[in-house]
Amino acid sequence: MVVLLVSGAAAGHGQSAPPPRVIHIVAERFLFTPSEITVEEGSVVELRITSEDTDHGFRLRGLGDVNLTVPKRGRGDVRVTIEANEPGNYVFECSHVCGAGHGFMRGALRVKARRSSGGTR
Amino acid sequence: MFGPIEGLVWLWLNLLSPQPAPQPAAAEQAGAPSSAPQTGPVSGYMDFHYNQPTDGTPGILDFHRFVLLFSHSFSDRLRFVSELELEHGVVEGLEEGGELELEQAYVDFLVRPSLNFRAGMMLVPVGIINERHEPPVFHGVERPFVDTVIVPTTWFDVGAGIHGSFGRGFRYRAYAMAPLDAREFSAEEGLRGGAQHGSEAQVRNVAFTGRLEYVGARGLQTGVSFWRGDTGFNLPRIDTKAGLFELDARFSRGRLETRGQFARVFIDGAGALNDAMGRLTGIDPNIAEQLIGSYVEVAYRVLPASVPHEAAVFVRYENFDTQFKMPDGSVKLPQFDRDAWVVGATYWVDPDVAIKLDYSHVRSGSAIVPPPRSINVGLGWWF
Repeated sequence: MVVLLVSGAAAGHGQSAPPPRVIHIVAERFLFTPSEITVEEGSVVELRITSEDTDHGFRLRGLGDVNLTVPKRGRGDVRVTIEANEPGNYVFECSHVCGAGHGFMRGALRVKARRSSGGTR
Repeated sequence: MFGPIEGLVWLWLNLLSPQPAPQPAAAEQAGAPSSAPQTGPVSGYMDFHYNQPTDGTPGILDFHRFVLLFSHSFSDRLRFVSELELEHGVVEGLEEGGELELEQAYVDFLVRPSLNFRAGMMLVPVGIINERHEPPVFHGVERPFVDTVIVPTTWFDVGAGIHGSFGRGFRYRAYAMAPLDAREFSAEEGLRGGAQHGSEAQVRNVAFTGRLEYVGARGLQTGVSFWRGDTGFNLPRIDTKAGLFELDARFSRGRLETRGQFARVFIDGAGALNDAMGRLTGIDPNIAEQLIGSYVEVAYRVLPASVPHEAAVFVRYENFDTQFKMPDGSVKLPQFDRDAWVVGATYWVDPDVAIKLDYSHVRSGSAIVPPPRSINVGLGWWF
């Protein structure tokens, strides 16, 4: 299962936890850049999403109730931290109607299965 | 009493000054219900503008577009989107005036990122502006000429098709749609009058349209699109087809924004179409076999970061000819071979509210028919 955390709560994992990998996402009519993100199973990533124009939404499907508002251009970002514990492809999309092409504004977060180290190498 | 200076200062302080921008940490959210978008069930955009011709003819103040978008999710995979537009403020029966248009009303069946189905009233996926036309996102009071007389925006009709992403930044749409009606083509505006707009559209043969985009590099979006379909279904024994090929790109980095577009229209059987229309109406419409248009635009955001608002200056050069290649026996008219310089500025009071000012200078090959030139002021917004 993939666990979603508020960015500031990541420190709760203890001092040994490595800092999350930060991925910057830019939202604009009608795309996310990057629109495809690949992370390794077990990794912790922080998504920082900014807008180049209007308010957008960022909804990550299949990962619980994740539905964030991306503030307008120049008004900061929105952040979410993810523990990618379960391999799979997860769709994210704009959840705030942002114009005529709003329906195309989608992307995918791929959690890639970690190669089995198995302690034998 | 306020004087004009005090009034402007009051306006700046009370209306135009933005709310303090939240710091990044303050904007952190975690999907709690309270973080849901602060918006109502309806979105939309509007623009109105004043066009003052420079030849001394009276100016025109026009509430050009009032557009409302409604949407509904039946489920995560089944969605409805619509866009209803009132143009020019009023619609009156039997009189030339505004238009009430259902520009979009479709249902999306979301299967997987690479394959989704869409059916209903849809935007034709051609060019930059047709699917991305909210006033704050393009420079200029009016849309580019190329996106008016070569690509007939806003171009919409009924149909069905597929869309999705191939991965690595490639996206596509491919639709079958109601074809264009050749009886409504014109020498000056090409295909523009031909869309049936889903109004009891005749579909003896459907048209096909598609677009392939690359959006995988930050700041760069490119696309190629086409349209192809029969057009002579209302003219007995006339076999005409219309095709359109289009290329476009947008690039932005830092304060710089550029975009360019090229489009070429092919009308097979234009000679037979002109003959048939001449017999039918007594007037030869002088439709061309080929139309061509392109433009390049450069914009630069000029205000320093310390200023709470944003502004950009821009220049756009357009070259467009709605009689690029004529059928045998038809005469090319020089007034339809045009180019234009548009220079101006966009000032965003808010990222969703744009005040626009520009000067549009159209030239043509005709020494008799004067091309339009105007100073334009507009206000457009999205909510």
